Amino acid sequence: MKHILVIDDAATVRLYHRGILENAGYSVDEAINGIEALEKALVKPYDLFIVDVNMPKLDGYGFLKEFRRQDDALQSPAIMVTTEAGGSDKQLGYMSGANLYITKPIKPNELVNYARLLLGETL
Amino acid sequence: MNSLLEQFLSEARDFLQGIGEKLMQLESDPTSHELMVELFRFVHTLKGNSGLFDFPEMTRVLHASEDLMDAVRNGRVNYSQKLADQLLDAMDFVGMLMDEIEATEKISNKHAAPAAELTKALRNLLTASEAGSESSEIDDILNEITQTQVAENSIDWESLPTLNLPEDIAEQLHAHSLRGDSVFWVEYTPEADSFFKGEDPFYLIRQVPDTEWRNVVLNSTVENLAEMDVFNSVASYQVLTHAPAEELEDLFRYIPDEHRRIEIPALAFVKPSGNTDEHAVDEDFIANVFALFDKGETEEVTRTINTMLELSAPDLWSSSALRWVLRLIEREPENKAAQRALLESLRTLQSPDWSELKPVETVTTIATAPPVRNAVVSTSNGSNSVVDEKMQYFNEVINAQREILNLSGFNEGRLKSVGASLICCYKSIGRSQDVDSLELAIKNALAENSPTLLLKWLEHSLENAPELVVAEKIPAPVNNLAMQNDVKFGRRAEDAAGRKADEPNAVTASKTLKVDQEKIDRLMNLIGEMVVAKNALPYLAARAETVFGVRDLSREIKAQYAVINRVAEEMQDTIMQVRMLPVSFIFQRFPRMVRDISRKLGKEVDLVLEGESTEADKNIIEALSDPLIHIVRNSLDHGLEQPDVRIAAGKNGTGKLLIRASQESDRVLIEIIDDGKGINPEVIKHKAYEKGLIDEATLERISDQDAVNLVFAAGFSTADVISDLSGRGVGMDVVRSAVEKVNGTVGIESEVGKGTRLYLSLPLSMAVTNVMIIQSNKQIFGVPMDMVVETVRVPRSQIQSIKQKQTTVLRGRIVPLLPLNDLLASNMPQLPNENDEFATLIVRVHGEHVGILVDDFRETVDIILKPMTGILGGLGGYSGAALLGDGSVLMVLNPRELM
Repeated sequence: MKHILVIDDAATVRLYHRGILENAGYSVDEAINGIEALEKALVKPYDLFIVDVNMPKLDGYGFLKEFRRQDDALQSPAIMVTTEAGGSDKQLGYMSGANLYITKPIKPNELVNYARLLLGETL
Repeated sequence: MNSLLEQFLSEARDFLQGIGEKLMQLESDPTSHELMVELFRFVHTLKGNSGLFDFPEMTRVLHASEDLMDAVRNGRVNYSQKLADQLLDAMDFVGMLMDEIEATEKISNKHAAPAAELTKALRNLLTASEAGSESSEIDDILNEITQTQVAENSIDWESLPTLNLPEDIAEQLHAHSLRGDSVFWVEYTPEADSFFKGEDPFYLIRQVPDTEWRNVVLNSTVENLAEMDVFNSVASYQVLTHAPAEELEDLFRYIPDEHRRIEIPALAFVKPSGNTDEHAVDEDFIANVFALFDKGETEEVTRTINTMLELSAPDLWSSSALRWVLRLIEREPENKAAQRALLESLRTLQSPDWSELKPVETVTTIATAPPVRNAVVSTSNGSNSVVDEKMQYFNEVINAQREILNLSGFNEGRLKSVGASLICCYKSIGRSQDVDSLELAIKNALAENSPTLLLKWLEHSLENAPELVVAEKIPAPVNNLAMQNDVKFGRRAEDAAGRKADEPNAVTASKTLKVDQEKIDRLMNLIGEMVVAKNALPYLAARAETVFGVRDLSREIKAQYAVINRVAEEMQDTIMQVRMLPVSFIFQRFPRMVRDISRKLGKEVDLVLEGESTEADKNIIEALSDPLIHIVRNSLDHGLEQPDVRIAAGKNGTGKLLIRASQESDRVLIEIIDDGKGINPEVIKHKAYEKGLIDEATLERISDQDAVNLVFAAGFSTADVISDLSGRGVGMDVVRSAVEKVNGTVGIESEVGKGTRLYLSLPLSMAVTNVMIIQSNKQIFGVPMDMVVETVRVPRSQIQSIKQKQTTVLRGRIVPLLPLNDLLASNMPQLPNENDEFATLIVRVHGEHVGILVDDFRETVDIILKPMTGILGGLGGYSGAALLGDGSVLMVLNPRELM
């Protein structure tokens, strides 16, 4: 089974993403900020990351930058989900190590399709 | 309610609370960048969450707030009082919407306008410096709202009121509507007490311009004229008008909640009316008209109908329908469907159901659909659309990777992640044959630590077979795309938990549990029962010994009881701790309250909160909330003076209000101290005398402290003018009784010109009450231990009669004595013991010591006090009843009420 880490400080958003992804048949773990995400991602390989941008302690950019620097970690695709539209943020996301930058609120079938695509599964 | 919405509401409330607190903190530290960043994050996350649901009003306001906070955070807009006020207003609005969502799971239309106003106000703050460039955009939003409402309403036939209009009025309105004047149906239902608010519903409704039709509806029937309350407004007023929306908006601007406005589409007026008794139209005629109609010979149709009309009575339903057909032919010649439906109705004599008919001319639907990424849905060929959609996702992700590869500053991790994304994407759409070369390219790129090779591969692959994927067959699981939007949340929670447990690396989520309050209450009740049940053991031991004569068994039972007793007590303590809440639970709303009130009164107040972490039982805390608010309001309103008065009195212009909580043994002490003008005992005395609370004799000799205490007397309120701050006539007596209800006491100390100190002393918990059992007239009663000062035995010789009242002197102090039997109105005399001494319970009532003569004292016990309900609920003198260990009922006295 594919494992996905959902990183967001808002419990509502985590529940939303978890509900969608678990229904699509994935195993979902949650982290409430970049620090916790790092702690989790460094001990367990994940197949996909869903990353929020604005979080306390360590934000999404910070998490990805740090995580992409880890040589022995499984460098899986990361989807950055954010409310902050705008070119510079998107570029910053890509520079930090995101593989896709999408704007909230994301629809259930969109999220599932992106996840399937980035997990190598048939749409 | 679905769990996601529940989660949203619960989290959102935390955020609102947090935003309020941060704003307060920001007020005292307006330059703190850290606070601003945090504040922004709160608003931002809240907005993000709200976006998951369809609450456009909420999201719109939050969005504006977020933008504003973003500007503040970046220093583009300066933090100001006004800004804080505006944000607080916005958050209050959001809180109100959440209440509504919690109750009804949706937001009603009526909030759209206030939401837009708030948004506008917030945006104005944002653009004040930029010459209001965005305000026109807001107007657009405002317009859009009205227009969307229009569009929605004209489609939503369900919500339209049933119109039964005279034909001539309907005809005129129909004409207006077709001419492009919006016709509105306005229903105005004044609140029942609207006459007391200075509203004049009848006048207001007559002010509606361009009214074509009015109606009054009674909302409740009046059974008996004599009982009718003429001061209650029970009517609804309805009008149909073709006045512009803005005029109506303006007219009803003060009562947005009490009126409803719906735009009526033209077709809604097309409703034949009249006598349906005779079946007037024969089928031949109808068939004839249809034949002509289908041939498009409109003039012939008109002529035939006119002939028919001349032959029929004008008040027939069918005549009315025919007249409408003529009007439709004249006014909406293109709307054949409507004309046909109307002709069809001649057969049934029922008005056509217009909701089944798309009105052609009335609605120009405004595109309000949100931008949809996967909007490509072709109806002609289902499989194609699936491929299209699939390709869209693929292209989007691939393009993102290309964009990423074109960026600079690569490291291994990022390259790997792009590689992984590409492999997955190609696999996903079934191009596994490309994966080998892709993997090679990734390997080479990694070796060079440069994206160039990978980028080259990607460009090459895309150039060579751009359409390849589109032409490919669709794999089976198409239904994934049709995944419903209403995902069942939480359904897999157990599965997930199970999986986690299997995994060695599963991380424990959190150490704090959020438990439903009801469960705790239930636990509390259970432990209460347990304490009582456990008390049965000593009785059992006694019976074993006295009745059955088994002394050893009795001893064993006692030993076992000791163990159970200890465990039960520990359990009780632990559960009690769970129920403990810090007083900050109430205190946290004071900063905002004090700020709002003091601003309203034009006073400057420095609020100091101390001992916020002091804890007390949840019920106590909750019971404390209202009295405390009342006291604080009193202090602000009556205690603290205006700045100029203060300065004239030689004090600091800013008043000081201290609210302090502390724990004193098993009680919580809460003090509210202000340095205001204090309470003048002379004023109080005279007020009390005027109100008849004290007589002349008392007026002369009452001490100043006693006089101040009079503010707690029932029916006492010193304010000459009732201000809306300190309540309406409810005085400190309400505070006192609320506090006493939870076994608390309240006191006041005041010094004229210096200030006032009010203190509340409350038990930590009221779940278990310690009572002393007393015996009187062969019955036992309980008296709460916290009222008992001491127990003494008074010899008969020491009892004196003063003015026919028994008293005794105890340590140099006169104590009135009251026989319990007299208080309970039984005529038995109290029984002294063998030394002719009376058992006397000294209790403290309203600060005075009073002796209650009883027959004998017994032990003290812990009981669960249940207030009396039903018929017994009216019994004063008892605070409740409790079950004793042997199963008997103990009535617990309330000495305060008894006297």
